[in-house]
Amino acid sequence: MILSRVADGLYWMGRYLERAENAARLLMVSEELSTEVLGLDENLARGEWRDLRSIFPGFPDGEPPSRSLAALASTSLRGLSIDPENRYSVFYSLRKARENARSVREALSLEVFINLNETYRELEGQTRRALADPAAFRSAMQSTHRGLMSTVGAIEHTLTRDAGWLFLKLGESLERVFRTVVILRTKLPALVATEPTVDLPLFYSQWRSLLRGLSCLENYRKVFGARLEPIDVLQFLLFDAQTPRSVRYGASAVKEHLDRISSASELSQPARIVGKLAAELSYQGHELIRDGQILSFLDHVQAELGRAHDALSTQYFGT
Amino acid sequence: MKWVTPKTGFDEVFDARGQARPHYAALISILESFTKEDVERRERLQQLTLRNQGITFTVYGEKEGLERIFPFDFVPRIIPAAEWKGIQDGLVQRITTLNLFLADVYGDQKCLKDGVIPAELVLSRKEYKRALLGLVPPRKIYTHVVGTDLIRDDRGQYLILEDNCRVPSGVSYVLENRNLLSRVFPEFLGAYPIRPIKDYPTLLLETLRFMAPRRGQNPVVVVLSPGIHNSAYFEHSFLAREMGVPLVEGRDLLVEGNHLFMRRTHGKRQVDVIYRRIDDDFLDPLAFRRDGMLGVPGLINVYREGNVALANAPGAGVADDKSVYAYMPKLIKYYLGEEALLPQVPTYLGGKKDDFKYIAEHLDQLVVKTTGDAGGYGMLMGPFAAAKERETYLAGMKKNPGGYIAQPLVELSTHPTHIDGRFEPRRVDLRPFILYGDRIRVLPGGLTRVALRAGSYVVNSSQGGGSKDTWVLAPREP
Repeated sequence: MILSRVADGLYWMGRYLERAENAARLLMVSEELSTEVLGLDENLARGEWRDLRSIFPGFPDGEPPSRSLAALASTSLRGLSIDPENRYSVFYSLRKARENARSVREALSLEVFINLNETYRELEGQTRRALADPAAFRSAMQSTHRGLMSTVGAIEHTLTRDAGWLFLKLGESLERVFRTVVILRTKLPALVATEPTVDLPLFYSQWRSLLRGLSCLENYRKVFGARLEPIDVLQFLLFDAQTPRSVRYGASAVKEHLDRISSASELSQPARIVGKLAAELSYQGHELIRDGQILSFLDHVQAELGRAHDALSTQYFGT
Repeated sequence: MKWVTPKTGFDEVFDARGQARPHYAALISILESFTKEDVERRERLQQLTLRNQGITFTVYGEKEGLERIFPFDFVPRIIPAAEWKGIQDGLVQRITTLNLFLADVYGDQKCLKDGVIPAELVLSRKEYKRALLGLVPPRKIYTHVVGTDLIRDDRGQYLILEDNCRVPSGVSYVLENRNLLSRVFPEFLGAYPIRPIKDYPTLLLETLRFMAPRRGQNPVVVVLSPGIHNSAYFEHSFLAREMGVPLVEGRDLLVEGNHLFMRRTHGKRQVDVIYRRIDDDFLDPLAFRRDGMLGVPGLINVYREGNVALANAPGAGVADDKSVYAYMPKLIKYYLGEEALLPQVPTYLGGKKDDFKYIAEHLDQLVVKTTGDAGGYGMLMGPFAAAKERETYLAGMKKNPGGYIAQPLVELSTHPTHIDGRFEPRRVDLRPFILYGDRIRVLPGGLTRVALRAGSYVVNSSQGGGSKDTWVLAPREP
């Protein structure tokens, strides 16, 4: 049992670490896709940046429509990488993760703090000018991503599996499944509307990019092989029981952590919400795709995850 | 490597003829075996380590409380065993007296009745907490952790400059400096019998547990911090981690039925001992400052009931007041019947008519300090101040003469310090840390602070000071 404030700090540290990792990964994938399709289909490239901006809604409202694609790309890249004011930039999330880590440092190991701190310091040292070079940008993001991975590794290998660890993992798993849902919700309408007749390779590029954005491409291939069928990809991202970024797996992970945090005698409100959600995903998901209700289902999942966050904050953090 | 020897004053390493003192000879020969490039490479490693480990302090007044690395100079200060013995004995005598004095002024007030120190002077200090009169803290100890500032004059005599009885900080840097030096310059450490300091957190925890009101149980000890924006937050977190106890903030604690609890995810838990790193005034908005949002409403009542121990005891700050300091030699004599083992700096009291006149007339020769402040804030360095600056300062003094003291400028000792590829003399002081639990223990070492700017006398971290590892040598085998 730990202090409510410490639990709160660890939970948010987990969320921000995961968010930073998601943002870094998606930035790299989007940058690659947009570079790949730029000469072929400008609208596709433009759409990629728009999607990214709605998945990480930290830009000021009202983006001027007259902007060139190049400007859209460079402001998006900069905004989501090192802009300290953008609430979804990698840097912002890293800074928040580190701030939370500092406030609960006695609950962490030295290894965890050092890895996080080094990753933060390195990105902090990057300048706008240096990152304007695409190669430098990619290598900086890769380096940050690697730093985040080693931080997660340190968490895995050095922390005591106590209540603090559970809250850290709870934050991580909730952020992860939430972001997967947001990504799917943002990307699916356009993807589903596109007909694979015009340009087949381009069509598949987008689905491949979706999988890569969720770091699921290799995982998908292990199950379905290299062939990308939209219905398979959807099935996989929503309901696969083994890939860590599927919605179903994510909800189960949240449930598992909440169950372990709950006292043995009584089921807590957040555990109830997530338990129901995990059951829906496990037992009734497949019909939803068939019945064309996938978008409204995703909205429902997103809303329930929001409720779970509110309920656990009240229950454990007293906020 | 080039060594610059000082022209004046007492140097820790070189004597008046420019010869190295014997206990520094081994260090110097090791240092001379390094090339300039070696040293630069090691220094880069040192910087990187400090940065990556987040060993920082926060500077107030800058944007959002900027985190800064506490500059570290790798040339260690070495204190021979016999010299340390003198310091240690003097400190034990002093801490004993400070606690007898505190028990007295919050008890029978004999020293005031006997006229050893003016009652008015003691009772008018804002650190004197009238509300705590008659309250005896657990084990009658007021100052569980003290950091005493020592300097050396131009003859090398150690002088007490200041007692810090409230929430002295810096011990985390003492420990981290040693870690850092042994990582970056491992060659140094093998050459000397250096007394270890690593067990400080263990001793601190023992000191804290010793005060626990509930007997026969495993007492719950916590470190109370104002939070992440406090300048010494790194240390609060460091000590909590090293002791393996929770780091709490005021909002984590609550009072119920005259007991203190911490809020946890699954119910609350009683707290027995608080190592508080919050000033008295902010401990409890019901007892002291009403706007003290950092503390815990009702805490002082729980303390009064004897249901929680606080280290250091509230009200202890009156003992380190700079004007009370002036009476310490008399107080040592009064309580212990002994002469002070460690001399101190002559002090003129703004509150005394004759003294004030003297201060006003000799402002250009004196260092003037406000009695309540610490960290080098609110101070006038007379000899270096412009006439205009002195005038303004004097005008301020006239409004509240009792709030000021003045001392002659002491020529602090210097110590070679690595500056731009050379070893240059820089002024240093020394803050040893003293624990008072079942007995008084002086940590063999301390924080050597160094004024990194050439010619500067100000060693405070908030004003461009750095620090050095400080070695106390074990006595030689007979």
